[in-house]
Amino acid sequence: MRYYSPASLKEFFKISSQCPNGQKTFLAGGTDLMPCYEQGTPLPDHLIDLKHLRDLHSISVTENTLIIGALTTIQDLHDHPLIQGEFVALYQATHEFAGAQIRHRGTIGGNICNASPAGDLLPPLYAFDAQLILTGPQAERHLPIHEFILGPGKTALLENEILTSISLNRKRLRSQFQKVGLRQSMAISVVNLACTWEEDEDGFSMLEIAAGAVAPTVLILNAFTRAYLENPKKLPKLLQLIDEAIAPIDDIRATANYRRMVLKNLIWAFLTK
Amino acid sequence: MMLYHPKPDRFNLSLTVNGEVVEREIVTHLRLLDFLRDELRLTGTKEVCGEGECGACTIIMDGKTVNSCLILAVEAHGHEIITIEGLANMDELTDLQRSFEDHHAVQCGYCIPGMVLTGEKLLDRNPHPTREEIKHELSGNICRCTGYHKIIDAIEHAGDTE
Repeated sequence: MRYYSPASLKEFFKISSQCPNGQKTFLAGGTDLMPCYEQGTPLPDHLIDLKHLRDLHSISVTENTLIIGALTTIQDLHDHPLIQGEFVALYQATHEFAGAQIRHRGTIGGNICNASPAGDLLPPLYAFDAQLILTGPQAERHLPIHEFILGPGKTALLENEILTSISLNRKRLRSQFQKVGLRQSMAISVVNLACTWEEDEDGFSMLEIAAGAVAPTVLILNAFTRAYLENPKKLPKLLQLIDEAIAPIDDIRATANYRRMVLKNLIWAFLTK
Repeated sequence: MMLYHPKPDRFNLSLTVNGEVVEREIVTHLRLLDFLRDELRLTGTKEVCGEGECGACTIIMDGKTVNSCLILAVEAHGHEIITIEGLANMDELTDLQRSFEDHHAVQCGYCIPGMVLTGEKLLDRNPHPTREEIKHELSGNICRCTGYHKIIDAIEHAGDTE
C-alpha cells in the first residue's frame, strides 16, 4: 500500500489523478475507515492522507457566514465559541459524539462523506441548511448537504473531487439536537434529530426538523412542520405525516417500529414542552 | 487485529515517543498500536476491541487522547506520542496514578493505562472536574470488571492531600 500525504491541493490533485480509480482511498480522521479495515475490508493500494492539507483545518467567521474547514475535528468544532453560541444543535451533537478519543480524530468532512444514515453531525447540518464546497482539479462547486448525500455511503463527489469546507449562514436560529442510542455514549444512534426554529409571542414563526437513522439519508420533515405551523392544535393527528415521510429499517440496534415510535415521541416532547 | 496488505510498501518513520526521537523503517499498513507494542515493546498500551470502541489502546498524541488502533503508524510521522510508560517522571508515579492505588481503582488492570491517560488529560484541562464531567470524558474507555465508581473516585480525588 502506497501512502501519500500531500501538503497542498495542487499536490493532492496531481497524486490523485495518477492513482487508478477504485484502488485509492482518501483518509481524514480514520475513525470510520480503520474499523472497516480491522473488520476485513481490504486496504486500498493507494492511501491518500488529507490531514496535511493545512487550509482545510480552519474555522473562519464573517458577518453572515461561518466557514468550517472539512478537516476540522469534532473536538475543535465543540470548542469553538461561535458554534456553541449560534449553532446550538451542532454543538450538542459534538458534545454527545462518541468518546473523547474519537472526537480528537474524527472530522466534520469525514462524518459528511461517510454518509451514514445515523451520522450525528448530519441532522444539525441539514437543519441549518449547510452548503458544501467541493473542490476539483479545475473548479469549485457548491451543493446543499441534502443534494450531496445520496444514500448510505453514497455522495455526489466526482472523481478526484474533495469536500474542502462547509458553510453555514449565521441566521441566529434557535436549535436543539437529541439522540437516542442503546447506551448514552459510544453507541450509534437509533434515532437522531435536530430542530431549528424562530418564535414570537404567538409561537413558532419558522420550524425545521431533520431526522436521522429513519431513512437511507437524513430527512427534513417538511410536510409535517408545514401542517403543524398551520394548525398546531392538530398535532396528534399530524404525527401520521411523520410516519408517511420516513422509511426506517430493522437492524441490529432497533426495529423499524421502535424507530418510528422514538422519533414521534421525541418530536411530540419537543413541541409540547 | 493487525492489518494485512498483499503489496506491502515501506516508509521511513520518525516520531517522538515518550520524549525520545524514534526512527524505524516500517510497512505502511502497520497500525500505531502494533508499532508501539511490537516494534518498541511498549506493551502498556493494550488492544481489546481493535475498532475504537473500548479505549484500552489510548495514547496521547500531540497532547490529545487518541485510540492507537485507529491510527496508522505512518500518520504519526513527525508527531509526539506519550504512552503510559512515559507518563511518570522516572520512578515516581503521578498524583493520579497514586490515587488509582489509594482508591483501589484497579481490578484486572487491562483498561487502566487508557483510563489513567484519559484522566490525566482531563485534569490538565480541568483540575477539579465534577463526577459528570469525569464520566463524560471517560465515555470512550470501557471497563468490563464494572469498576467505574472507584475509577471516578480516583480521578475526582487525585492530588487531594489526606
